[in-house]
Amino acid sequence: MRAPIERRPPYGLAIWCAVTLLLALLVYATPARLTRSTDLMPLLPLITLFIWSTIRPYFIPPIVIFIVGLLQDLLTGGPMGIWAFAYLLSLTIMRVRKEDATTRDMGPLWFRFVATTAIAVVVAWIAGSLANGSPAPVQPMAIEAAASILMFPLIALISVRKRQSRGAFG
Amino acid sequence: MRFSRTLTLTLFIIAALLIAFDRPDARPGFLVAVRSAVTDTAAPLLDLTARPLRGIGNIGPYWQRQHELAVENAELQEQLTETRYWRDLALRLRDERDIYREALNLTPASEQERIGAWVLADPTGPFVRSRLVGAGSGRGVGEGDPVLNVYGLVGHVVEVGQRSSRVLLLTDLNSRVPVMADRSNARAVLTGDNTNFPRLDYLGRDADLQEGDRIVTSGDDGILPRGLPVGTAALDRNGRWRVRLFSDNAPVDFVWVLPYDRLPTPEEEPAASADAPGAIAGEVNSEPAPGGEETGTIATAEDGE
Repeated sequence: MRAPIERRPPYGLAIWCAVTLLLALLVYATPARLTRSTDLMPLLPLITLFIWSTIRPYFIPPIVIFIVGLLQDLLTGGPMGIWAFAYLLSLTIMRVRKEDATTRDMGPLWFRFVATTAIAVVVAWIAGSLANGSPAPVQPMAIEAAASILMFPLIALISVRKRQSRGAFG
Repeated sequence: MRFSRTLTLTLFIIAALLIAFDRPDARPGFLVAVRSAVTDTAAPLLDLTARPLRGIGNIGPYWQRQHELAVENAELQEQLTETRYWRDLALRLRDERDIYREALNLTPASEQERIGAWVLADPTGPFVRSRLVGAGSGRGVGEGDPVLNVYGLVGHVVEVGQRSSRVLLLTDLNSRVPVMADRSNARAVLTGDNTNFPRLDYLGRDADLQEGDRIVTSGDDGILPRGLPVGTAALDRNGRWRVRLFSDNAPVDFVWVLPYDRLPTPEEEPAASADAPGAIAGEVNSEPAPGGEETGTIATAEDGE
């Protein structure tokens, strides 16, 4: 008689998720200056949160989103709560309900990410302006949002490739 | 996948409360402590991440600049020759100054050591322009200390941890620094507005200011010392005075923090212990001449307001 298949909890993947989130936060806050003209970075924490919430939604509960947003606020020296609120709201609204969407639907997924980024950036702009007591400049936010949207397919494709090569994640 | 709605709602409320209470101009003490603790903990990790990224970032510019290096080298040699002359002059003037000080029995302004530190993080987001530097209270950095790079003032310390400090840049929306024109002593307040060229506010109607005037700190607030190089005055398209910062001449990678003991106010240090005449440091104030109390206003009551 064949023994029942035991499905192990994916602890390794959970650790990998935590590591990628931490790396995204650190790289975002680090003086990289990859281009000479601007020192703004894509919203790497948002990209990472979005991809993980697509691949493994149960790895990204609201508390994780909140902590990542709060750490982004703290590491960048901005008023606390801005990105925590923005990420919570955008990812709660635009969360991919159906698991395993990444492998097949890159177009719709990108569109969903664009909407998520737009919500996050607008909310962050309003919250930041309220916290600072004057309207925050629009241009840096627009550059960050555009860079994030352009970079998303690349990171998503790498994640999908990695996932497909492992095969048994779905 | 469904998560607890109550928890989500609670997190929204906490985030909203943080936005409401964590104001840069009036931050509660416990939030300051939390911020310092997090940046202190993250400082070594950020430094570790920055090293390889700095290397990657430098590859492109390195190859781009190879052909420019020879020209730059020649220019630098020229500048070095010029600098030697100025160095000799400065040394000669320093000797003269020491002799005059001795003759006039002046107490010199405090000349303290600089604390060198690497920049660990430089987030330039839409809400804040700050730098995280790898030196904290453990090395003598204090809140309000001015921070300079090779060319000029970068900002001042706003948060101090044990191993790291956060520097508010002159370009930040919340930055206000009293400055003056080196040539005419015209006073103004340098106000950051998240652009690369901070504004000169509260400049008098007939202020004697010209394009290219060297702008330095006036020390009027008693928080920053007088005479730190800031930049040059420039008019923008709307006819408003702005400052082209000296510190923009180079990336803010390595900085110096100047530990500065600000002048205590009469309320903070009453005159009860007036038996020590040189207790209050300052070149003008400490002069033991008759009527010396009045001369203390000379430094701050200049024109241009």
